[in-house]
Amino acid sequence: MKKSSISRRKFLGKAATVGAVGFVGPAIITGCSSDKTKAFKPVAEGTWLDQAPDGPVLKAGLIGCGGRGSGAAINFLNAGPNLQITALGDTFRDRLESCRAGILKQKGQEVPEENCFVGFDAYQKVIDSGVDIILTATPPSFRPEILAAAVAARKHVFAEKPVCVDPTGARSVMATALKAKELGLTIVTGTQRRHQRNYVANYNQVKAGAIGDIVGGNVWWNGGKLWHRDNNPAWTEMEWMIRDWVNWCWLSGDHIVEQHVHNLDVLNWFTGGHPVKAVGMGSRQRRVTGDQFDNFSVDFVFEDGRHFHSMCRQINGCAQNVSERLQGATGSTNCIDMIHDLAGNEIWKYAYPLDSEGKEDKGAMKPAMDQEHVDLVNSIRTNQGFNELENTAISTMVAIMGRISAYTGKETTWEEMMNSDMKLGPKVFAFGPVDIPKAVPIPGEAYDPVEEQKRAEERAAARAKQQAAQKPTN
Amino acid sequence: MKRFLLWFAPGLIVGILLMAGGGRVLNRTSTNDYCMSCHIHPAADNSWKRSVHYETQSGYRVACVECHLPPKGDAYLWAKGTTGLRDLWSYWTKDSASFNWEDRSRLEVARGHVYESSCIKCHENLFPAKLTKEGEDAHLYYKQTKKTPDLHCINCHLNAGHYMEGYTHGSNATFGSVSSAPKEIFREPTRVTGFNSFTEQVPNSSVSFRMLAIQGGRFKMGSPADEPFRRSDEGPVKEVEISPFFMAEVEVTWDEYLAFYTQTSAEGRSTDTEGLRTEQASETDAISGATPPYGQPDQGWGMGRRPAISFSYHAAETYCRWLSQVTGKTYRLPTEAEWEYACRAGTETPYFFPGDPKKFEKSGLRAKLSKNDTTIINSFIVYKTNSQAKTQPPDRVKPNPFGLKNMLGNVAEFCSDWYRPDAYSLYEEQLLKDPRGPESGEEHVVRGGSFMDMAGALRSAARDYTRTEAWLKTDPQIPKSIWWYSDCFNVGFRVVCEFDEKTGNL
Repeated sequence: MKKSSISRRKFLGKAATVGAVGFVGPAIITGCSSDKTKAFKPVAEGTWLDQAPDGPVLKAGLIGCGGRGSGAAINFLNAGPNLQITALGDTFRDRLESCRAGILKQKGQEVPEENCFVGFDAYQKVIDSGVDIILTATPPSFRPEILAAAVAARKHVFAEKPVCVDPTGARSVMATALKAKELGLTIVTGTQRRHQRNYVANYNQVKAGAIGDIVGGNVWWNGGKLWHRDNNPAWTEMEWMIRDWVNWCWLSGDHIVEQHVHNLDVLNWFTGGHPVKAVGMGSRQRRVTGDQFDNFSVDFVFEDGRHFHSMCRQINGCAQNVSERLQGATGSTNCIDMIHDLAGNEIWKYAYPLDSEGKEDKGAMKPAMDQEHVDLVNSIRTNQGFNELENTAISTMVAIMGRISAYTGKETTWEEMMNSDMKLGPKVFAFGPVDIPKAVPIPGEAYDPVEEQKRAEERAAARAKQQAAQKPTN
Repeated sequence: MKRFLLWFAPGLIVGILLMAGGGRVLNRTSTNDYCMSCHIHPAADNSWKRSVHYETQSGYRVACVECHLPPKGDAYLWAKGTTGLRDLWSYWTKDSASFNWEDRSRLEVARGHVYESSCIKCHENLFPAKLTKEGEDAHLYYKQTKKTPDLHCINCHLNAGHYMEGYTHGSNATFGSVSSAPKEIFREPTRVTGFNSFTEQVPNSSVSFRMLAIQGGRFKMGSPADEPFRRSDEGPVKEVEISPFFMAEVEVTWDEYLAFYTQTSAEGRSTDTEGLRTEQASETDAISGATPPYGQPDQGWGMGRRPAISFSYHAAETYCRWLSQVTGKTYRLPTEAEWEYACRAGTETPYFFPGDPKKFEKSGLRAKLSKNDTTIINSFIVYKTNSQAKTQPPDRVKPNPFGLKNMLGNVAEFCSDWYRPDAYSLYEEQLLKDPRGPESGEEHVVRGGSFMDMAGALRSAARDYTRTEAWLKTDPQIPKSIWWYSDCFNVGFRVVCEFDEKTGNL
């Protein structure tokens, strides 16, 4: 381990010297020591709770009983003592029943029949069933309405990311977040990196100046195909879309929103701000169903002019990379567990738990999906009012801004997002045909010789008219 | 002796303040009774008693000083001192009966004596649980644009402290739906077969209006360099020839505008930021008109024959398209040249009636001392001095030599030209025939001045322009309306109709 790090330093030696001249030089001249950056002292890691503290029974209702919802229910029940799931809601009976059976099998808790609600209005019935906490993991398009209803009923919330699919939804969630803050409610969202111990430790080092000011970076979610459901003659179009939801923009927000929001949220978190402009591109190459793209590449720009690049893909058989990398004035970080100085020397590394043989055991670190529920219950039981919903709404809006730029081929701005009345999806939710445009977006204009000719003639005519208007008639 | 006491009372009060150590006197002089003991505006007292602040939901009564002074610790004493001295000065030197109290409760004036920090002191929570959808959008907007100092709480909540008749805060969905007694409904538009003035009838409505035949001719556009109050954008003077056209006798009235509004108004709003995601707006024959306004577009002054106001340039253009469609003629906004030609009506003086603009200005000490005779301008123009701070029905004034009313004053009028300060100098050095202004631009020309203006801005040659961003500043909707200006209520328009094959020019 030591050896390899030395040899790498040797290997980088020359390049590092060249690179450092411009940087160290002025510091010497002004007499200002660069020791500060060299001798960065890592900050101590905070303490983590493995379990939430005990307290009176907290009852939770789950809205959205699919895979992630069922998982979140178990994560919640594992977070500490005296926790119960007492109500379930979903659009489909079969999803609800499998979730209910899973909770019974794994945790021995039976959700009573009278607290199982099916249909588009199930969410309100779950909220009204006498629970303290709402867990929700429906497709994100339904999230703004559910969040608003939950906060209006004074419920604490765990909500999966993303929290909306369009600007109207994002603004609604921002307002809901501020209302919840005023009411002192706890809201944890599924942007789990903020509850992942290595990420948080890394963030604390960066915040303490480990890489200096952040000047640029990249965020990636280049992964494989997710999943799809083929249409089934027994289903209405609505049922098919919801069962196939990660492939439909009005339900998922497209994968830049649905999945890549994780990485964009890290960007916002570490920089303490958010982009205000985006120019993106993307296309659809391999997706099977739905109306979404399967690749995006977006240049995000901050108010102060800093550029960050974002890339995401859901195609099998391509280079894969799900991570972030931020460049600072004095170093760089992968945001998760490592920090290097400009010369490439490792200046900080996350101390993972060790196994019996003294080797790093990354798996022994408490998973973020469990940790976020420990943090949720802890905040409720110790009355902290921890609330990360506004941050997540902003991160989701950033992802939406990137998507719209790629769909339209135009530059999009934060101001446009804050003013857009775009609301995706049908006006009413009912089983049957879904009345929305389903074409895959095509940015830009195609070359059309006939149109081109017409435009040239129009321009010429306009010029002639303008000239004639300014000439005297006599 | 009485006089002596009056003049020395301020000193006396200051002395007492110092002697009594401040506290008690400060409190005593901040009670509602104390305020009302001097403030001779019973209307303001009464409207306060009818407002939501007099009896809040929690039973609290908000005192005068809680809005009209900053919170304690926030330059409170300074504000109290200066306000107090100003009030004393006014009390002894001015006649409160001469004040136009209605005018003083306008937003621009009210901003000067309501402290935003005081609003926020009580209303700390801008996102209460009960906040409506509209409130959420408006307060998010406020939170994000707080840095603009001109966005004040009372931009939207002007009636919080003093009740205002007809003040609407919220989407005004029923606007324009009030119908008066049944009248004759026109089935057909007026047929025009020659170049004569006519009365247009709007089909499927009871609305009609006069259109005057304006003979073509030549005139000098712009003002000579020595004209009082002249600004550089009014020159150089251009020789212009105008073809015959028809022009409305009066500015488009609320009756006329509401016929358009009710026949075309649309529920939905669309700003298509995702291009292909939503359906392409097709160029169909159906004109989709204005959406419901936010607030009270007529400012509560009444509608009927008063000129329509608060709508956008886009709405005015759409109105013309709609009017052309339902009447089978070619209606449009006048060009700036047509407008000035019609306004001057053959005159080359600052106004279409005799008089020196300087002598009509009533502001300034000198003007007051000189006791200018404003009889003539009074009979032709609704302007700051005689308007009582609102628009007036057209019957209030005499017409110009072409028979047109309110060309100057009442409301300013949109023209079809793009505005450029140097527009005239860009024209060629020769007689211009029906010029249409610059090819492109940001804002449009506005002409004629309004009920808020003084004599200088009311000259035939005076030019002004739209200020789209400023006029939408406090629109709390997201996105902002393309149909209504939230912050402009002194601009309207007047239609012209082309003399073409549809109006008998065969």
